[in-house]
Amino acid sequence: MKDKHITEILDNTSIANFSAGELDEVRAHAESCVSCRGAYEAARLSGVVLRSRAQAAVEPSPFFQTRVMAALREQQAVENVPAMLRLWRSSKALVSSMAVTTAALAALSFLLPTPVTSVVDQTASVYSAESVIMGQSEEQMTYEQVLSTIYADEDEAK
Amino acid sequence: MFSVASRFFRQRSLVEEAAQEVFLKAFTQLGSFEGRGSFEGWLTRIATNTCLNMVRGAKRRPESLASDLSDDEHDWLEQQSGSDGSDQRSVENSLVATDLADRLLAVLPPEDQQALLMIDGEDASIKEVAEATGWSESKVKVRAFRARRKLREAMEKLLSHKDGKPVSK
Repeated sequence: MKDKHITEILDNTSIANFSAGELDEVRAHAESCVSCRGAYEAARLSGVVLRSRAQAAVEPSPFFQTRVMAALREQQAVENVPAMLRLWRSSKALVSSMAVTTAALAALSFLLPTPVTSVVDQTASVYSAESVIMGQSEEQMTYEQVLSTIYADEDEAK
Repeated sequence: MFSVASRFFRQRSLVEEAAQEVFLKAFTQLGSFEGRGSFEGWLTRIATNTCLNMVRGAKRRPESLASDLSDDEHDWLEQQSGSDGSDQRSVENSLVATDLADRLLAVLPPEDQQALLMIDGEDASIKEVAEATGWSESKVKVRAFRARRKLREAMEKLLSHKDGKPVSK
């Protein structure tokens, strides 16, 4: 013990749990070893403050029980509400905002109707029977457009 | 339950808040108690876990170990350094010692604080701590060893500060 430092022993067990023999040996070493003297003193004082801290238990205040019972009743009241109602309460804001958005979109679609035009009619007038027969515009025209252009010109000729 | 919460907190409001939460949890989880261990042990474990969660959730104080050592703390350390361990236990002395303990314990993680306070402060056995926390006995031993070393080193720093540097008022 005399040549071996005692820090390991001090960290292993609280000084309060040392046997009388162990305590004498540790003290003897601490007296002769400067570095272990500080460690021993610190370990001893740490034990003292820890015991004081452990005794500083807080007692419940007189209203504690009442407060806990009130909190318990409150918790039970929340749990007793049906699940669907709780779901509705929690999602109320989301559902309301979705309904407002849908209504706004519906109103806009009535107020701003998009004009419907025939694509065939618009494009058919652009081409002539001559250009169709010569194959100049076939690539851009549909089959129906080709037919309607040719027959329209034939009718005019008659 | 209050003694468990008092290990983690010193403010009455926090102790009561923790104890209330433990009661509510215990009430709602009562069905999960299988009756294998003691009811007290089950309750202690809920209390320990609840307090640990509360401590983890709270911001840790900055570790001002020696920078603001008060006059009372300085005097207490001076007085205790000279004594042979049979200290005079006045109320004032124990309050100062408790403050010092909190200052020192702040350098440890909450789990280590808990283990050390139970073993060195309340003379609990390794097995008792293991049951209260749900840790293995070897984990408790390792945590206690590590915590004891850190606390001793922190106390050494305080003592050297007391001897070598002026004390702030």
